[in-house]
Order: sequence, then C-alpha cells, then structure tokens
Amino acid sequence: MLKGKMKFIIAIAIIALTVSYLVYGGVKDTMVYYLTVEELRAQVPDVYDSRVRVSGIVVPGTIVKENDGSLEFQISDGAQTIDVQYEGIIPDIFADDVEAVVEGVYAKNDVFEADTLLAKCPTKYEDAESLYENKEASY
Amino acid sequence: MVETGSISILLSFVISIYILFASIYGVKSRKWDFVRSAENAAIAVFVLLLIATIALVHSLINLDFNLKYVALNTSTDLATIYRFTSLWAGQAGSLLLWCLVLSIYTAIVVLQSRNKDRDLMPYVLATLSVVSIFFIGIIAFVENPFETLPFTPKEGRGLNPILQNGYMAIHPLTLYFGYVGVTVPFAFGMGALLSGKLGDAWIKYSRKWALFAWTFLSIGLLLGARWAYLELGWGGYWAWDPVENAAFMPWLAATAFIHSVMIQEKKGMLKKWNMSLIIITFFLSIFGTFITRSGIISSVHSFAQSDIGPMFLGFIAFILLFSFAMFIYRLKDLETEDSFDSILSRESAFIFNNLLFLGAAFAVFLGTIFPILSEAVTGDKILVGPPYFNRVNVPIALVLILLMGVGPIISWRKASFKNLIRNFIYPTILGVLTIIVLLILGMRDVVAIISFALCAFVTGTVFTEFIRGTRVRMKRGENPIAAFMKLVSRNKRRYGGYIVHMGVVLIVIGVTASSVFVTEKQSTLNAGESMELRDYSLRFDGIEQYTTDAKNATIANITLFASGKEIDQIRPEKNIYKYEGNREINQETEVALRSTFKDDLYIILSSFNPDGSATIRAMINPLVNWIWAGGLLLVIGAIVTMWPSGKKITETAFVRYSVGEKDAAIRA
Repeated sequence: MLKGKMKFIIAIAIIALTVSYLVYGGVKDTMVYYLTVEELRAQVPDVYDSRVRVSGIVVPGTIVKENDGSLEFQISDGAQTIDVQYEGIIPDIFADDVEAVVEGVYAKNDVFEADTLLAKCPTKYEDAESLYENKEASY
Repeated sequence: MVETGSISILLSFVISIYILFASIYGVKSRKWDFVRSAENAAIAVFVLLLIATIALVHSLINLDFNLKYVALNTSTDLATIYRFTSLWAGQAGSLLLWCLVLSIYTAIVVLQSRNKDRDLMPYVLATLSVVSIFFIGIIAFVENPFETLPFTPKEGRGLNPILQNGYMAIHPLTLYFGYVGVTVPFAFGMGALLSGKLGDAWIKYSRKWALFAWTFLSIGLLLGARWAYLELGWGGYWAWDPVENAAFMPWLAATAFIHSVMIQEKKGMLKKWNMSLIIITFFLSIFGTFITRSGIISSVHSFAQSDIGPMFLGFIAFILLFSFAMFIYRLKDLETEDSFDSILSRESAFIFNNLLFLGAAFAVFLGTIFPILSEAVTGDKILVGPPYFNRVNVPIALVLILLMGVGPIISWRKASFKNLIRNFIYPTILGVLTIIVLLILGMRDVVAIISFALCAFVTGTVFTEFIRGTRVRMKRGENPIAAFMKLVSRNKRRYGGYIVHMGVVLIVIGVTASSVFVTEKQSTLNAGESMELRDYSLRFDGIEQYTTDAKNATIANITLFASGKEIDQIRPEKNIYKYEGNREINQETEVALRSTFKDDLYIILSSFNPDGSATIRAMINPLVNWIWAGGLLLVIGAIVTMWPSGKKITETAFVRYSVGEKDAAIRA
C-alpha cells in the first residue's frame, strides 16, 4: 500500500516540478520591463537593444502615417520625449493625447522600434468631468 | 424611478443582513419559522433588485441624463437595444446586474429545496447572503447606479462604438451568469462546512450548479473570443489579456472541480480536495471581477477604473481566511473513505487532470499578477506577455487532451494490461495514423502534429465508447438508432460528457490550426491593383464613402478571387463617429470576413490615402470556424448532461446504483 502511495507522491511531484519549471522558464525568457519614458531615458545606455515596454502620452501633432501603413510618433511623460517607429495594426483609439503603450527595442539612434502598440483611454467611462464640460458647452 | 431604484437597493441591503441572522439563528435554535422567513426574504430581495434593475433600464431607455450612470453610458443617437445593454457597460450597472443574478440564483436555491436538507440549507442561504451584502453594499453606498448629477446634461457621453456589437451585447451577460453561478456551489461547500453536514447533499447540489456555472463561463469565454476576433481587428481571438485571464482562471478551476467531484460521488474520495477546489474557484471568480472592475492591472480593455479595489481585496481576504479556517476546523470530518489502488486507474487520471488544471490556473494567475508582484518585490514593473502563457499552457493542454482520451475509458481501481489493450488499441492506431498522414502531407510543426494526433486519439476513444454501448443495446434487439438514442438518454451524464469532450476536440483543432498556420500580408494598393495571398487574389476596386446619422464610413471595395475565379465581394470599413462622446475612438475598424470551415479570410482596411490608394492587411486563418462549432457542441453536450431525467428513469437508476450509494451514505 505504501508503495502505491509513494508512486502517487512521485507522480504528483513530477507534475508539480514540471509546471514550476515551465513557469520559471516562461517568466525568465519572456519577461519585459515596463517603464515610463523617464525611466527609459534614465537607463540609457544600458537599455539599448533590450526588449522593453514603455508607456507615455502621444505628443499631439507628431503622428506621421507612411504610405505603406507604418507609423511614426512621439510619446512623452511631460518631461522627456522619445521617437517611436511602429509597423503593424493601429488600435482604433490611437490618437493625439492618448496614453500609448509600446513594446519593442530602444535602438542606439534613440528611436524606439516598436512591434506592439496598445492605446488606452482610461478616462472614457467613469470620468464625470467631461459631463461638466458638456454642460458649459451647451449653455 | 430614481427614488424607486435607490430605495429598492437600500431595502434589499437591509433584508440581506436580516437573512444572514434569521437563517443562522433559526437553524441554531431550531426555530424553523425564522428559516422560513429568511427564505421568503431571499425572494423579496430578488423582487426588489428586479425593481431596481427595471428602474435603471427605464432610465437608460428614456435617456434620463440626470442620472450619472445614464449620462456616462448612453447618448441620444444610441439605438434602443444598446441603451438597454449599457446596463452592463459601466461599473455601477454591471454590479447591479451581478446582484440581480445572484438574487435569482438564491431564489432558485430556496425554491428548489424548501423542504429538503433542512440542516444544511440555512447555512447555504447565510453564505449567499454574505456575498449579497458585500455586492449590494457596494451599489448602495459606493457605486450607486442611481447617483444623480447636480444638473441635467443635454447629451450623454455615449457607448464606446466597439461595444456596439451583438456579441458584446450578450457576452458580459453570459459571463456574469457564470461568474455569479460559481457563488452557489461555493455556498453549498460553505454550508456543508458550517453545518457539519458533509455528506452527499452538498456534493449533489454543488455539482449541478458548478456544471451550470461552467457552461455559462464557457459560453462567455467563447463569445468574448468571437467579439475580439470580429471587433478588435488584429486577426486573433485570444491575447492573454488580464481581463480574458480573469474569466479563464475560474473556468480552469471549475473544470477541475466538476471532474473531481465525480470521484467523491462515486468513491467517497477527495473530500478535502473538492472543498479546497470550490473555495479556490470562488476566489478566482471574485478575483476576476476585481481585476475587471478595479483596473489594477493595465489592460487593453479595463473599461472601468474606480476605487472599489481595496474593498474587493478586503472581501477576498475575508473569504479566503474564513473559508480555510472553517476547512481546517472540519478537517477530521473530511476524511476519505476509500484509497487509491493503482496509478493506472481512472481515479488517478482524474487526479492528474485536476493537478494540471490547477497548475494551468496557477500559471495564468501568476502571469496575470506578475506586474503587481514584481513591483512589490523588486520595485520594477515587469510583465510577462503572451509568449509566457503559451509556453506554459500549451504543454499542459496537450497532456490534458491525452488524459481526456484516457480518463473516461480506463478502468476504475486498477487497469489490467488486457483492459488497456482492449480499450486503447484502435484510438492509438488512429493517433499514429494521423501523425503519419500529417508528415506525408508535409506538416513539420511538432506542436501541431502532437495536438492533431491527440485529438484523433480522443475522437477514437469517444467513438469506441459510443459504438460499444450501442452494440450492447443492439444485441437486445433494438435497432441502431433507437439503441443509440436510449444509450445517451439513459446515461446522460456520461454521454453528455463525451459530447462535451468532442466539442473541446473541435476547439483544440481550430485553435491549433489558427495559431500555427496563419498567413498574413499587408500591401498598399492603387485602385485596380491586386494582392496575392496563397490561392487567393484580392483586387482593390477603390474607396467609397458614405455617411449615416452616427458615422462617416469609408469602405474599401475588394473583389476576391480563388484560384483565378471570382468568388466574393468584400468590404472592410473604417468608421469615424460623428458624435463628440465617441470621438475617442478615432477610427473604428470593421473587418471584412469571409468565413468557411476550411479557413477565414480576414481583411482589414489599415489606412486610406487622399490619392485613392489603400493599405490592406489580409490574413488567412485556417479552421477558425471549428472553434465556434466546437463551442456549440460543447454547450449541447453540457445541456445533455444537465437535462433532468424523467421520474421513471430516476427510479430505475436508483435501484440499479443503490447498493453502492447506500454504502456511501451509511459511511458518510
């Protein structure tokens, strides 16, 4: 009986170890630092050529759409600004003043080469301020 | 209407507190009148919340902009159907809906068992009322859907256009039916712990409710995936986004629970395990609501952000501490009646299934909270992306598919070599043949080959079971169709389960094909130019624009050719919404989809230029329709499993199985 129990404990331990190993390896190989523009600039030159995710506000008027569908723009945290180059699907809510999250590599020429672009509009739903603006506008 | 709604919510809050005390006091002092009045009060809570919901819906449909919730989520140009669905577009409304669904379930629980299990039910009701008190408390005092503004705006902010979609209209609803549904089996578990009635009753009820909640979670996940596929315009249906994970985690834990609970029913084993599992499932369900509603983890679609986060964390901490304290208190009553004999048995297949599902849930959980965790520990915010989730979950999923084939037909207790050969020879041959055929066809992707082979293996085992069962009945002189129908209807749980498994197989085939074999291309075309994509050719015929009351739309007219023959006209769109409140969606993409069971042609209008040229992104996603078809089959299977038996059949079934069950009942 004990022998049977031992077998189970070993089998369970193997599963637990395998899952732990998968998690460990997965985290180690895919983890990406999430930085603000300022943090990114503060880590130059160490950050060059490593994969990071950066968030900042899209600087109004800097969005340039190329004919081939690729995109150039700047993001800023108020103090610092970086150039971003991106090719891929452009989220519907991407626009001036929107908070953008880009993932990719910060190249030595200080251009962020992004392959992922997310855009957030956290103010959309639960912010009543604009209702007040709306009020002023309508009177 | 506003006063009616507010008062109803306040009353339901007060009554919920009454239910908690009346049911506990009633059962402790054996004063059954109190229990009965608590039960009636539960129905009153349902009626009150229904009134509150109707009041809010009334305000939404009539655009009473004096209500903050209405002003934030609707606008005059919004179609009536979306005015109604904005009930669950924002924070306060969806929390009200949560409360309403919970009160519906509570009322059903009360009505189903008015005269049964008197020692257990008051505690179940008390647990349900604690959860109600928390959620109703939030809508009564923190996020009140009936909060008014000091003025009445002329116009509301409108509903996000990407939420104006049929799938989005019902997806949150189904997900809530699932999320909230998990509360009921948890309440039965807690009821059992609190009352000490740890016999078969709580297991019987919680199994059914868990299956019910699981079915809705599954539907919700699939509808969400389909919505993302159609509306987000990036060509995929699953991105391991925190909000998606939020629903996926309780689904994984619930799947483990509905499997292992069968072992307790049949063998009286795994009692502690099942109790822990249902607590974990409930925790993940509340945690999922917390992630979705608090916006704590940056997500591409945290639609709501607010300060109810700390309250949720407090509630989660309370739930976990209290339930595990109760669990430890009753530990000696949760002793197992039977033991494991062999590692080659159905019991152990279930154990491995459970460990893997829980392992997957843990891995997803860790990946989801990793940014918070890393920031707390190291000060750096570190993310793990979709590659992490795939790397961890794909191997686990493959082993689970293997177990899905093995589990249902391996013998209980100890499988002999002879039994293994007899049951698994044909499915194994089928699996191996699949590998050979795929290699000959030129497929070289190892994960895909393993996945398809395992799917063939599972299909083989399921068909063997159906054929074997039908044949046994045919020997009694029934014709094949009657034999098959009776086989399924007399063993709904078992064969319904097999149908669910076949649904999963279809989903796995679809997911494997569409994630491994995507063809993608982007071109900028002038009118008249074409782009080639495998056998397809897309001729761009030019840009066309039109306006409606709500939007300015731009369409790319595309003629589609397959192997040189014209087959279809497709029109991807870009919309600019006229209404101010929707402007944050700068350009909304409507993809064009040509969907068959072979593949989906997924066309996006990326951009268009003043000179009339357009940038078109096109993808061929193979077998995506198999996912939705599999989902449908899964739901059919779940319905078969849950379909109530006629009275006569239950009686014969009782006689047939009574020996084993009586034994278990005596021991319990």
